[in-house]
Amino acid sequence: MDCGTAVGKILAKADGLLPRQEEAELAGHLAGCPACAAEDAAITGTGPALRALTGIRAMEKAPALDAMWTRVRAGIEEKRETRRRPLWAARWVWIPAVMTIALLALLFYPSRTDRSPFHPSSFDVAVEDVESDTATVALVDKGEDLPTVIWIIEDAKT
Amino acid sequence: MPRPDPRGRAGAPELLFLLLLPLLLLAAVPSEAADTVTVDVGAVYASNEGTSIDPALGMIRGKLHSMFNYTSYRMLDRKRRSLSVGETGEFELPDRRSMRATPLPARGDKVRLSIRISEGSRNLLTTTLGLRRGGMVLVGGPPHQAGVLILIISAE
Repeated sequence: MDCGTAVGKILAKADGLLPRQEEAELAGHLAGCPACAAEDAAITGTGPALRALTGIRAMEKAPALDAMWTRVRAGIEEKRETRRRPLWAARWVWIPAVMTIALLALLFYPSRTDRSPFHPSSFDVAVEDVESDTATVALVDKGEDLPTVIWIIEDAKT
Repeated sequence: MPRPDPRGRAGAPELLFLLLLPLLLLAAVPSEAADTVTVDVGAVYASNEGTSIDPALGMIRGKLHSMFNYTSYRMLDRKRRSLSVGETGEFELPDRRSMRATPLPARGDKVRLSIRISEGSRNLLTTTLGLRRGGMVLVGGPPHQAGVLILIISAE
């Protein structure tokens, strides 16, 4: 293995991308090449150093982040409280809405529902004309409290 | 100090409108209803098979019983159409029969209906009826299964 390939594999190892077999080959090369061994040591040591630095930075910024989060949380709470307190108009707006729905239901229930039973208000019917091409038609009127009946007699069946 | 959101507060005119909305609807609906006739057609199967009377027939149950000699009355179908004057509505009936209803011009609370009942190309009945709004007429006789069909025609 030449040193150029070894440096590439050192970087791959630092990223955790080097297969185990190639890692063994790299170790063999590092054992015999002090320059590559020094490069490996430098690169391998960079990761922990960066992590330590990031940790220190985070610890430095923690109070500022805590303060910011407290402000964000307070803001969220404030919004939530505002939503919980409905406005005067919003509190009463449902009354006309309910009244409207109730009125519409009352108005349309008898005429728009197919399930309402028959409740005729009158049996007063004037039959202006009645005719049939194929049947005999009888008109039966038994008085005001009974409905007028037009009876179709086909081939004397009924 | 936080300022109230002007968009979230309903003003007096909006509130007044909301309160008057039901009344406005009440005023609007009858004027529309006056120009249209709701034709309601129920197809009842009357026979001597059993003694049951369909509760869906409402107060007409007793009338049917006192007018006809059948022991059983069952609602097969019920259809309702809102029709303008001059507009023809078709109602499908059992056994490939159909009924066409056309509201005609009428005065006051009267409804005039031109009715035509046919079976295929055969014209079973052509009639013109004058009813009060909410009135009812029965058309019966066409055979159905072991009994007859009785049509309950009402107009509102």
